[in-house]
Amino acid sequence: MSIQVSYYGMLAEITGQANEVWVADQNLTVGDFRNQIIERYPAMREKKFKIAVDQKISQDYVSIDNASEIALLPPFAGG
Amino acid sequence: MEKEHKHKKVFVQGPISPDFVSKSIASHQSKTTIGAHAIFLGQIRADQKTDGVVTGIDYSAYEEMAEKAFYEIREAAFEKFELTCMHIYHSLGIVPTGEISLFVFVSSPHRRAAFEASEYIVEEIKANVPIFGKELLGEGGNYVWKENK
Repeated sequence: MSIQVSYYGMLAEITGQANEVWVADQNLTVGDFRNQIIERYPAMREKKFKIAVDQKISQDYVSIDNASEIALLPPFAGG
Repeated sequence: MEKEHKHKKVFVQGPISPDFVSKSIASHQSKTTIGAHAIFLGQIRADQKTDGVVTGIDYSAYEEMAEKAFYEIREAAFEKFELTCMHIYHSLGIVPTGEISLFVFVSSPHRRAAFEASEYIVEEIKANVPIFGKELLGEGGNYVWKENK
């Protein structure tokens, strides 16, 4: 399956792009995806980030099999 | 009376001008059930960082999710507090030091709800809306990423 992945703020600087299409196996959870991200972009290990699945911040156990959009969000800075 | 629960545009490009704030106040003069307005304005500080002084913040956001988060904050605030109306504006792009990047404007028949709602809304925005900020340093193009405490 393939998923649209977006990177925001400092994370887009690490990946060198604002978004990409992620090709992954079925039965993927947020936790699995996090591990794959860190494998592809080792500098992410040092960074705090949350993962939003279809615009909802999601814990590691959440399945992303039917997700259409995943976003990696660094710490918020609004205000 | 109909409350303004409708989806509203929050993001504005660049700083929020004092003129815009005063026009927003003026536009409420016809709403005579209001007895109290509370306004919160977030202003960009010239913090001293290791690599220089902050000259401005360049804001970006995950806009679709942010609009949804703002909507949820609005709904929750109307639920929790006795409000007549509520407006939230936040900047995107560069806001120089000393200028306004956040404008929260709540109105109620009485002061207590207005005070409490404005604090609640600002705290919720800082914690739960996916907005990101680059603190621009000096004139040399350096920056650091801002993180809410």
